[in-house]
Amino acid sequence: MTNAALPRFAAFTLLAAAVLAGATVPAFADGGDILIKNGTILTVTKGVIANGDVLVVDGIIKAIGANIAAPPGVRVIDAAGRFVLPGIIDSHTHVALAGTNEGSEAITPEADVGAVINADDTSILTALSGGVTMVHTMHGSANPIGGPNVVLKMKWGRPSEELVVTEALPTLKFALGENVKQAGRTVQPGQTQRYPATRMGANAIIRREFAKARNYMARWERFNQAAKAKNPPRTLVPPRKDLRLEVLAEVLRGERVARVHSYQATETLEFMELAKEFGFKIQCFEHIWEGYKIADEIAAAGIGISVFADSWAYKMEAAEGIAYDAGYCAKRGVLVSINSDSGERIRRLFNDAAKTMKYGGLTEEEALRLVTINPAIQLGVDKIAGSLEVGKQGDIAVFTEHPMSAYTRCDMTIIEGDVYFDREALVKEREEAAKKAAAPAGKGGVS
Amino acid sequence: MRHSVLRSGSLFLLVFAIGALAAAPLPGDVGPTYAVRDCRIVPVAGPVIEKGTIIIRDGLIDSLGPVEKIKIPEDAEIVAAEGLVAYPGLISAFSNAFLEMPARPEGQASPFEEALQARTTQPQEDRFPPGPGLLVLDQLKPKPAAIAGFHRAGFTTVLTAPARGIFEGQSVLLNLNGEALPPMVIRNGAALHINLTTERGGYPSSLMGTIAHIRQSFIDAEYYAARQAQYEKGPAGLKRPAYDPRLEALVPFVRDRRPVVFQCNNVEDIKRAMKIAGEFKLNAMLAGANEAWRAADVLKKNPMPLLVALDFRPPQTSLYATQGEELRKKAEAEIYPANAANLAKAGIAFALVSGANADGGAVLRNVRTAIKAGLAEDAALRALTIQPARYLGLERSLGTLEPGKIANIVLVKGGIFDEKAQVARVFVDGILFKYAEVSK
Repeated sequence: MTNAALPRFAAFTLLAAAVLAGATVPAFADGGDILIKNGTILTVTKGVIANGDVLVVDGIIKAIGANIAAPPGVRVIDAAGRFVLPGIIDSHTHVALAGTNEGSEAITPEADVGAVINADDTSILTALSGGVTMVHTMHGSANPIGGPNVVLKMKWGRPSEELVVTEALPTLKFALGENVKQAGRTVQPGQTQRYPATRMGANAIIRREFAKARNYMARWERFNQAAKAKNPPRTLVPPRKDLRLEVLAEVLRGERVARVHSYQATETLEFMELAKEFGFKIQCFEHIWEGYKIADEIAAAGIGISVFADSWAYKMEAAEGIAYDAGYCAKRGVLVSINSDSGERIRRLFNDAAKTMKYGGLTEEEALRLVTINPAIQLGVDKIAGSLEVGKQGDIAVFTEHPMSAYTRCDMTIIEGDVYFDREALVKEREEAAKKAAAPAGKGGVS
Repeated sequence: MRHSVLRSGSLFLLVFAIGALAAAPLPGDVGPTYAVRDCRIVPVAGPVIEKGTIIIRDGLIDSLGPVEKIKIPEDAEIVAAEGLVAYPGLISAFSNAFLEMPARPEGQASPFEEALQARTTQPQEDRFPPGPGLLVLDQLKPKPAAIAGFHRAGFTTVLTAPARGIFEGQSVLLNLNGEALPPMVIRNGAALHINLTTERGGYPSSLMGTIAHIRQSFIDAEYYAARQAQYEKGPAGLKRPAYDPRLEALVPFVRDRRPVVFQCNNVEDIKRAMKIAGEFKLNAMLAGANEAWRAADVLKKNPMPLLVALDFRPPQTSLYATQGEELRKKAEAEIYPANAANLAKAGIAFALVSGANADGGAVLRNVRTAIKAGLAEDAALRALTIQPARYLGLERSLGTLEPGKIANIVLVKGGIFDEKAQVARVFVDGILFKYAEVSK
């Protein structure tokens, strides 16, 4: 086998071995208990422990420190010479879904990606191989108002309902700019471009929908008041329940926050004005290549950003993107995370975070925050994830080198104390599968 | 050449047989009386009778039992059945049999082609008429050969469902007793059928949109029913509710809990359908469900009628289908055929159905594959007789061989699931159809 053929073959057998073994449940679940010993512990929020242990019991981190004894029956991982860090969190991706966009209309807040989780998506395993334990998987950016998003743990092999992180903040996807005005779409003779076709149109249609939602809430309020009366009138008719407006009402009531795909500074500032006008909360701007131009405004508004580390200038509206966007914004006090937006880049978020050290001058510690505690804060899960602290969930990655090193590799990914990715074990399985495949048919070979 | 001559010959015989025997008696008429003699009887309800007689009178099973205990009436036509095994006619509680779907109307614009301002935000499904109000019976054209095909595979009763769109329309329950449709109908509008799919070129174009659309439709139907009721109670001072044919068709399914069948194309669809069914307290059944074993935990917790199709191809989204040809083939040959066996092992009830497979013989072959994959034969038989009868509310009239039930009986040379099984005689509503020769 040539070297070039190896990665593809490896990827196939990695999965195939697991699947052929009949494993819809990971064979390596440890019942939520694990002790990782003798590693360099990067807690992210509580400093570095040079030679430390992490004990997880029933899925929760019970102790962090030196010389922790393993309770009886608990599996022990020797991490000597290796780095132990909180599981990486991807603040913006589209994995593990059956469909990304309800692109047939411009306003679709009823289209909830949480209803179409696909736990069979092998991107979950890809994510695990890069130390990722949690993702915010989102509606696409085809619509000014897309749909609600969902936060998932990458529990490969577990049923979809077990993946959902119910503690996370409810979010709604918005999008501005080229994608929603369908700049790349060729309009055929006789066709009309979907509204909106301009940035001002995008702003206008969002304002219009929020005005509708306000009206809707007022109608319900009037009805509820009238229905509360001692003898409500016999002719009292409730408003029609509208799933589309229900979701926008949640945003207006502050029960759901906005995650806004936006690239350019002007449209971003306009959207911030819109949010002020209607009194809803923007949690995060997505991709925002011109974030560096308005870093102080974003920081002052308490809004986070979730960005790529590179790919600047890959499309018209990213033309003024710069490599320093993430690092600079972080230094100006913006809560920054690095996202994948992809089922492939998701396995090297740590590499992407490290780029902010060269472009932006962040320290190792600061850079690591961009894929751990910062996305956790953005998703509202910093009480349960994002750092190694006693009482948080046992989501842990073990790397061969410091995760911000160019030479590092993820060896093991653990979620709530269960090992979901173990490179050594999978490589062994791969070799056995290869041996079996090479054996003559009838003697254990594949015929 | 010889082959095709033979075929058309037997086809001729077949048409002749159906033509000669298919005239169902008019109401009030007394149909013929038959005495099926000397057969082995598998009544499904109760123990097997090694050598028995079944008396059929006026379309019903009059009596059955060991030969020595059953007196043959004087007016009975004797059906010599020595060497044959009598089973209740098989029931497919979900099929697309006899369906000739009209093509989507030409020249319909997709929503992309219309200015958004010009459109309402109402889902566009109504542009693909007639949605939930469609009665599939109006589209059926059963051909004698197709009916004979089902008979030869042992099927005497099928539920035929429409097969296009999200709200596909309403099915019809047919007793395959001849050629004319009206006498076959057991129940029109038997169930509402919903497919978890998308509309091409329109809203909804994604599965999440589809789920929202289905939920909004049921919300609207409940609202519609409530407004109608409020208005009927006292119209004075109330605006007359506007008539909406689509919602009108949905009302019986949300208000009166008439059955709703969800087409479940993979393991996640099962959970999606269960959620919707729970939200609107629907009387729901899950069809397709060839990954049902993967949802065994939730199905055990919340049992649902399962209409399991004998389709062993892994769904496109399944990890069994996305990891290369080797695994896909293995899954189709070994993993998916064990779906029914795994359900039985987990103690989950199910019916086996012919689904989209219009070839009765192929359906029976697939039952044999499921049996080879570990499904007990008697479990398979129950899943094709009494279980679907229960799901369809027919257990008092069909599904077993018992006195008083409809005379839907198949007489088979050999066990019905044997490789070489041949259906020799079929009774549907007491009407006799002759297929393979009976030799002694």
